[in-house]
Amino acid sequence: MSELILVEGVCKRYVTSSGPVDALRDVSLSVGAGEFCTLIGPSGCGKSTLLAVLGGLVSADAGRVAVDGRPVDGPDPRRVATVFQDPGLFPWRTTLENVEFGLELQGVSAVERRRVAADLLGPLGLRDFAAKYPRELSGGMRQRVAIGRALAIDTPIVLMDEPFGALDEQTRVLMGEWLLDIWRRTRKTVVFVTHSLHEALALSTRVAIMTARPGRIKSVLELPMPYPRAMESAEMVALRAKLWGDIRDESLRAMQ
Amino acid sequence: MQTQVVLIRVAILVAALGAWEIVGHTANPALYVPPSAAVPALGRLLALDSYPDLAQHLLLTLREILVAYALAIAAGLGCGFVLGVNRLVGRAYGPILAALYAVPAVVWYPSLMLFFGLDAASKIAFGFLLGFFPITLAVLAGIRQVNPQLLVVARAFGASGVTAFRKVTLPAMLFTLVGGLRTGLALTVIGVIVGEILGSKSGMGSLINHAYGLFRTDDYIALVVVTLVLIVGSDAIASLVERRAQRWTE
Amino acid sequence: MNQARESVRVRLIQMLSIAAVLLAWEGVARAGWVDPLFVPAPTAVAGALGRIGRAALAGLGETLLKTAIAYAVAVVIGVGGGILLGSVRALRQAVNPFVIALYGMPKILVLPWIILFLGFGAMPAVVYATIHGVFPILVLVTGAVRDVDRNLVTVARAFGARRWQLYWKVVLPAIVPTVLAGMRLGIVFCLLGVLVVEMFAGVRGMGYVLSSLANGFQAAELFAATALVSAASIIIVLSLASVNERLSQWRGESR
Repeated sequence: MSELILVEGVCKRYVTSSGPVDALRDVSLSVGAGEFCTLIGPSGCGKSTLLAVLGGLVSADAGRVAVDGRPVDGPDPRRVATVFQDPGLFPWRTTLENVEFGLELQGVSAVERRRVAADLLGPLGLRDFAAKYPRELSGGMRQRVAIGRALAIDTPIVLMDEPFGALDEQTRVLMGEWLLDIWRRTRKTVVFVTHSLHEALALSTRVAIMTARPGRIKSVLELPMPYPRAMESAEMVALRAKLWGDIRDESLRAMQ
Repeated sequence: MQTQVVLIRVAILVAALGAWEIVGHTANPALYVPPSAAVPALGRLLALDSYPDLAQHLLLTLREILVAYALAIAAGLGCGFVLGVNRLVGRAYGPILAALYAVPAVVWYPSLMLFFGLDAASKIAFGFLLGFFPITLAVLAGIRQVNPQLLVVARAFGASGVTAFRKVTLPAMLFTLVGGLRTGLALTVIGVIVGEILGSKSGMGSLINHAYGLFRTDDYIALVVVTLVLIVGSDAIASLVERRAQRWTE
Repeated sequence: MNQARESVRVRLIQMLSIAAVLLAWEGVARAGWVDPLFVPAPTAVAGALGRIGRAALAGLGETLLKTAIAYAVAVVIGVGGGILLGSVRALRQAVNPFVIALYGMPKILVLPWIILFLGFGAMPAVVYATIHGVFPILVLVTGAVRDVDRNLVTVARAFGARRWQLYWKVVLPAIVPTVLAGMRLGIVFCLLGVLVVEMFAGVRGMGYVLSSLANGFQAAELFAATALVSAASIIIVLSLASVNERLSQWRGESR
């Protein structure tokens, strides 16, 4: 498997009013093409910062970040699409217009944009909501539109920063299953940030556990099991225990 | 970053005053009175040299403002509460009030002048008219933004309608109300001054008119400065009261 | 009480109240309790409207024309300036106190000076009205640009938006509601400015019509003219409000 995303020795420091804060220190990670890689860790460990670095929204102070062999020096909408925890839909655009947004920025013709967006509505489960505005959609629907917007530009890599964080538990589980379905069909490379162990175990092919701040990659868990995952199997239960064991220490440390 | 901002501000001020000074010297001095001529004019005014009865006019203007404001508060609070407390009355007369607010107040002034004549009464009436609307609207807005859950809690603890109003609604809307009172004062002041400038025999506005009519531009500027001090001063007092209210309600 | 029935009751109360006031007014005037020189009866006012109708409408037209010109300029400067100030933080912080000070200052204090400079005529009226109308628009638009949801900007950047695309596709659509609100305020301010100049300097227009009717003690005609210009103003503001509603359907029930 070729390494599509390469992160080596990345450091990021923020200057705050109470002094400098090291968000990331010496983070190294690689993600192969077609993988579903989850970043998990305690609050404040820098997972969102790492994702922002991957997406070119934030530049690292030290280290290398390369996507598809090229160093990252800014948002690259031809290779990387991002979904945020706040769906960030434009309230004045309908569902279709929101999904089209990335294509619009790239200068794709109106007819072509509309076709791509309309084709996506089926898998998104939003066919009846094409002309609705965000305020008329539920939280889960809005996040699906945001994901649709990311899928519309058809990038090899999709970054997701706790996309289901603001949803209730039941919706989260269903959204996770839906996302898995989309991923398996499109075969994209996904980097997914969460602090839900369930999501990490149910969705990923690889889980990278981060330490408390300043964040580093503590350990990486490979999950080669087939989908859909039987979460009650002995294997999964053991993995869950291991994952929790690794994270627990970091969570405690983060709380101090 | 902060020093950069302060520097830009100082630069703007210096540039503006400088340009005014230069233009004032090169062009028609009667029109472009430069700051260097305005300052002594201000001195002459305050020494009661150019206008010996300045104090009387100033006091008259102040009196007009106070009376107009008192009336505006009384009527504004009264109307506001009547419209705000009774839902049906509020829905019926609210839009009429809003429509009247869409009319530039100065259209009423000639009618007021015809009815009350040229002296203080018409200025008081006009000031009242301008100050009345923001106060009424603030009372309405204040009542509307009270969290209904608070009233539910009060009722659950056995409070009667009047008690709930006194102990819950009133404190909860106090801040919005005080904001409206402050706006009302600012508008009342403007109303009185506009009234005086548009036609009066006494008061600061009449002095301004007088100076303007006689091309005494330097005295005119001095009078404007004094009037501005009056305006800013009244708003400063109002904002102090507002800040007090903010401390009580938070 | 459900919505529909309450609305009917509301309409009823409104119409009955207005009718009652008019009837009482008419009665009081006819009974001679008030001096007809100061308070003419509604019927007298209606009659007067017929008499001065043409002159009043001509005056109104002049006023509205000047208002329209001043308004156009005020909107351009207000929106353009607001976008500039809202985007450039250092500039905004530096200039803000001056803007607030000028906004709060009653412009009428400089009106005599403007008349001295520009003389009598349409020009000072347009200039003064522009100054009057610019400030609320400028202040509102500056605030709206400054307060654009940061998330939306981040999203646009993540999708590769360039600077001009950020403005065109995110900032501008986001500030539309505020721009409309500012424009609604601006028109009243501009109209007010024109009327004040017409009253103060005797410039041709509705303001002059009103003040000369007042000076001539023609109470019925004055009331009629006042009603005319009030109605015009209300119609203009209501039309702007309905345009606002139509352009803001994505916001839902904003009232």
